[in-house]
Formats: sequence, structure tokens, C-alpha cells
Amino acid sequence: MTKKVTEAGSISRRRLLTTASAGAALAASPLGINLLQAQGAPIRIGMSMPQTGGLAGGGKPSLLGIEIWRDDVNAKGGLLGRKVELVVYDDKSSASETPAIYSKLIDVDKVDLLFAPYATVPTAPIMPLVKQRGLLLIGNFSFQVNSKVGHDMWFNNAPWGPADSWAASFLDIGQKAGGKSMALLSADQEFAQNLAKTAREVAGKRSLPVVFDQSYPPNTVEFSSIIRGLKATKPDIVYVASYPPDSAGILRAVNEIGIGGSVKLFGGGMVGLQFGSVMESMGSLLNGVVNYNSWLPEKSMYFDGTKAFFEKYTKRAVEAKVDPLGYYLAPFGYASGQLVEQAIKATNSLDQKGLAKYLRENTHQTIVGPIAFSPDGERKETAVLQAQFRGVTDKNIEQFRSSGKQVILFPDNLKSGELVAPFEAART
Amino acid sequence: MKRSGAAFWIGAAAFLAVAFVMTKVIGNQYPFFAGYVILQFIALAVAWSILGGYAGYVNFGTSAFYGVGVYASVFLVKAFGAPLPVQILTAAAIGALMGFALGLLTLRMQGIFFSIATIALTIIIETVVTNWRYVGGAAGIQIQRPPVTAPFDNYVQLLFFIQAVLVVLAVAISRYIQNSWIGRGLQALKDDELAAECSGVPTLRLKLLACVISGALLCAVGAPGAMYLQYADPSSAFNLNYSVSTLAMSLIGGTAHWIGPVIGAIVLSTTQQLLTVTISSEVNVLVLGVMLVLFVVGAPEGIIGLARRIFHRSNEGRE
Repeated sequence: MTKKVTEAGSISRRRLLTTASAGAALAASPLGINLLQAQGAPIRIGMSMPQTGGLAGGGKPSLLGIEIWRDDVNAKGGLLGRKVELVVYDDKSSASETPAIYSKLIDVDKVDLLFAPYATVPTAPIMPLVKQRGLLLIGNFSFQVNSKVGHDMWFNNAPWGPADSWAASFLDIGQKAGGKSMALLSADQEFAQNLAKTAREVAGKRSLPVVFDQSYPPNTVEFSSIIRGLKATKPDIVYVASYPPDSAGILRAVNEIGIGGSVKLFGGGMVGLQFGSVMESMGSLLNGVVNYNSWLPEKSMYFDGTKAFFEKYTKRAVEAKVDPLGYYLAPFGYASGQLVEQAIKATNSLDQKGLAKYLRENTHQTIVGPIAFSPDGERKETAVLQAQFRGVTDKNIEQFRSSGKQVILFPDNLKSGELVAPFEAART
Repeated sequence: MKRSGAAFWIGAAAFLAVAFVMTKVIGNQYPFFAGYVILQFIALAVAWSILGGYAGYVNFGTSAFYGVGVYASVFLVKAFGAPLPVQILTAAAIGALMGFALGLLTLRMQGIFFSIATIALTIIIETVVTNWRYVGGAAGIQIQRPPVTAPFDNYVQLLFFIQAVLVVLAVAISRYIQNSWIGRGLQALKDDELAAECSGVPTLRLKLLACVISGALLCAVGAPGAMYLQYADPSSAFNLNYSVSTLAMSLIGGTAHWIGPVIGAIVLSTTQQLLTVTISSEVNVLVLGVMLVLFVVGAPEGIIGLARRIFHRSNEGRE
């Protein structure tokens, strides 16, 4: 048995020479180079993604967006003639899981590039690690994780832009509508508190009085007393920074109690109102709310490849059992891929420093629009949309696929309509 | 007895030596990241078992103690730039005080009432930290590690070794308690508290002692967690997962002997680490759930109980 194997595996000297010279000739030709590289090891992109736990609802569509990019780029022949492969682990939405996972990706799997997990909490612990190792990291909707770390090879795919632009754009709309005072209602959780902090700062700079400022514990379900208290202060602008379950609770309480005729603008930072299932269940309660978003099916939001992406996403979301709309995160997952794709093609290498330099110095065309980075790795200019829900009916998720249901008020270059105020008038 | 004592200390020294040599020989960082988590759970399970196992008071507040350990470090680093040993010692002192308070407040409650009180403790402390802006509040806080000191080349290796020392410390204390009058007293009050009290066992004093020691160790184990993550947020630091996993590890290993939680923690946390980088989806949660059910049904006294039963059966077969 052993002998047979040896015979079959053995190569005569003449055969070796022939093979070697044919190989050399093939390798020398340009086609040969491509063929050899295409047959070479794939380019591996490593990441953790929340697939269980509280952030899974965002992690899964985000991952699907990245997978669609991988399939598209592989269908075009890959990058540098090599196929692209994703190495993905579940971080269970927890900060304590990610350091070990990223160490495995770097030291054991030896991936070529790193993507960050969705959201701030799982991303924060890996920032010092990637900085120490001098690695490129494409961020995924985390908020200001690099501000203290100062890693110059970090690039966030999220449209946030400068830290205060979010609150500034919302207050701009409110002040233009004649708003002279603000109420602030925020959840005692990471993202909401970051938003509330910047809102206070922006209001302070503009000498806009904050007549109501309350944080509530994360598991609050009953908001009627809080909304009554808020209503009594008669604010013009109500800035809400909430998480999915509380966003629903707040809107229900507002619907029952009302918010008063003084309110011109309501919403701002309500997480959850971007997800198909939440929007479907809230239905007409959403009308009038002006809230942040990242992508919406308005005419101004279609760039090269956007339509094709959503055609693929809509089909695959059914099989993957994820958000059927997928506006909020999925196209940005795809854009993360496009960022590295363009950098690799332009530099013709996988050298992390070279890729980071290219990403920092150029504007990149993606399906979510052109992206340019400031030195801290966040967007140079904010592309966070502020959009008003209009004419939404109950129990119909398909209505959100058509334009006009969420009218974009900010930024100006993407604007698709004007604010309807006061809030009570816009609700009908 | 004396011979087994010598064997234990030789084993402990060998374990620390291996941990130290690992930091010198292995260049790859992943074993230290994953190993740190496993060692942390061993220490937590052993510390939990002092009160939960020997005394039979099921403490669901592991995450409260762990989180306080993490935040004690965060505070010390932010306020004074305190070094790691100071962080751990201070956390242990705070943990001992917390344990004492918990003992005073709740040891007059038994069974399910005690367990509920410990869950309440977690919620109360988490709420306080969530509203404490100085340590980051709800938004969390990023902290920078100081440069690593010799003989280690890397901070994660240092943390790995420190956690190994904490494991040895926890196991040594647990073993001492088990073999001393404290363990026998706790065992007596676990079986029947009233009967133990009537027989002259100082139950309240013993329970307080168990609470203080367990609390100090749980907090001390949490302290290096801040430097491991270089980030702390209340929902991660006070995650109920620490309580549930620690309890599961002790129960799966068996609480009758100090080695039980060690075995349970090694089996469960290694499985968790492996599943995270292999199956890595909802399935890993299911696998852990199934494991727990199988052990509860098939081996109610844990791996230790199962091993004893098999050992006895094979002995009987010989006779």
C-alpha cells in the first residue's frame, strides 16, 4: 500500500523539468500571473458580528450587506485576482467577547483585513488592540469610539460625521420652524446618553434654554407620567434619544396624552424607528415624528448600484430572516466592502498603511453616496438624515418602500421636502 | 492529609510555572486572551462556591461583585492612575465590605428569598453606576493601559498570569475552608441550619465569613477585567451572564469539593470559547443550554458526583 502511494506520487527528473518550465512560462505571462493569483489563497476579511443578544437585530442585516458585496466582488473575479472570503464570529452583542475574537482573527486566522462589529459597545474594546498592532479597521456604526484612542487607521462607515452635527441638524430644523426652547428625554444607555450630551452642548452654545432634561432607566415601559411632565414645560422642540422598546412606549404615551400645541418638532434620536418590524407595528403613530436615519428610498438617495443592491437584499432577506427593508445598516455594510475594494484596487496591494493612506486622502463612491473621511476616521461631513414620517397607515410594511413616507429635511443636498409643523398638525 | 497538602502546593506552583513559561514561549496572543477568560471563570466559580456550594446559599449576585471589581479599577485608574495590584487589593476590600453588608442584610433570609435579594443587589448597583458620570455612566468609558513592566512583554500576558495567581489564591482558600472547621460548620448549616445552631455551630458568624471571603474574591477577579477590555460599560460589567455562567459552572462541576467548580469552569468556559470561534451562531447558546439540562438530569451532583458514583460502582464490582 505504502509502495503504491510512493510510486503514484513520485515524479521523474524529466517530468519535473517539463512541469517546472511550463510553470515558469505560465507564471511569466500576464495571464499566468492572474491565473496563479486567482488560484492562490483568498483575501480574508475578519470580523465579529452580533448575531445573538440585543444587537443581533442590527448585526444580521449588516452582515447580509457585507455578504452581498463579497458575492458581487467575487462574481467580478475578486480582488487582486483573489477571491474574497469572510471570517465571521458571533460576539453575542457583548464587549467582553470581542478582544479574544479579534486576537484569534489576527493571530490564528491571520486575516488580511479587519471589519469592526456593528455598534459601539463591542467595538470599543478592540480599538486599543488594532492601534497597538497598526491595523486598518473599518468601523460599523459605532459612535465616537476613536475620539480618545486616536487611531489613524480607523474609518467609520456610519454617516455620523462630527460629533455635534447630529444634534445641530435637528435643532437647526426646530429653530427654523420658530423653536425657542428644548426638552430632552433620553434613555440611560450608551448611545442615547452620547446623543443627549451633544444636544446639551449644542443647546448651550446657541443659548437655547433646556426646559426639561430627564433620563429614564433602560427597562422603562410606562411613559405617561414622564410625557405629562414634559408637556407641562411647554417646549418648542422635543429631542428624544431612546432605544427600540422605549421608542414605541414613548410614541404610545404621546398618542394617548398628547404633547401640547407648542411642540414644533419631535424626535431626533429614536433608535428602532429605522427597523421594518418596529415601523410596521407603530404604523400611524409615527406620523409627524422627525427622526434620524441613514438611508431612505427617496429619489435623492439612489447612487450607482443602490437599486441593484436593494433588489438583491430584498430577495436574500427573506431567506436570511432579517429586516425585510434593511435601509438602516445593510447598504452601509456593502459600502464598507466598497471602501476596501476601491483602496485595494487603487493601491494594488493589501498593505494596511497604504490602504489607510488612500482611504484618508480620497473621496470614495459607494451605494450610500460619496464618502470622505476627516483625520479622526469619521465622515468629513455628516450624512445623517433627519426625516419626517408622513401619511403612514397601520400594519403595512410595504408602504415604506415607496418615497414620500419619510420626507428628508436634512441635509440640504438630499432634501426631499419641507417640515410640516406644529407636531400635532403633522400627526393627522 | 499532610501529603495531599504538599501535593496541592506542588501542583499550584507547577500551574503558575506553566502559566509563566507560556508567557515566555508562546508568541501568539490568542491563547492569552482566551485563557484569561477561562481563568477568570475558574476563579469566579471557586469563589462563588464558598458561599453557594459549602453553605448552600445560592448567590445570583456574582455580576454585582464582578462589576464592582471592574468599576473599582476604573475609578482608581481615572482618579489616581493606580497600578494593577492596588486595583485588585482595593477591589477585594470593597468586595469584603459588600459581602459583609450582604451577609448582615440577607443572611436572615434563606433559600429563594436570599437569591432574589442578591439579584436586587445587582440591579441597585448597576443603576447607581449607570448614573455615575465620573466613571462614564451609561455611555461607558475607555481607559488606557499603562506600559507593561518586566518580565512580561505584553499586557495581556501580564493579566493572564495575574488571573492565574488569583485562581491559585481562590482555590487555596476554598480548599482550606473545605478542610477546616469553617467548612464543616458551613456543611452543617447547609444540611439543617436550626440543628447546627442548636449544636453550637456559630451559624451567623460562619455565614458572614463565607460572604466576606466569597465577596472579596469575586470583586478581586473582576478588577483586572477593566484593563483586559480597556473599556467598561454598566451593561457589560454587570451582565447577568456572569451570575448564570458561574452558577452553571459550579453546579456542573459539583459543589461538594473544591475541585468541582474548577472542573465545571474549565469544561464550560472552554466549550464556550471553542463554540464562539467554531459554530459561532445561535447554536452555541443552544449547545450550552442542552449541556446544562443533560448535567442537571444525568448528574445532579455534578461531574464530581458522577465520578464518585462510577468509582464506587467499579469498587463494588471488584468486591
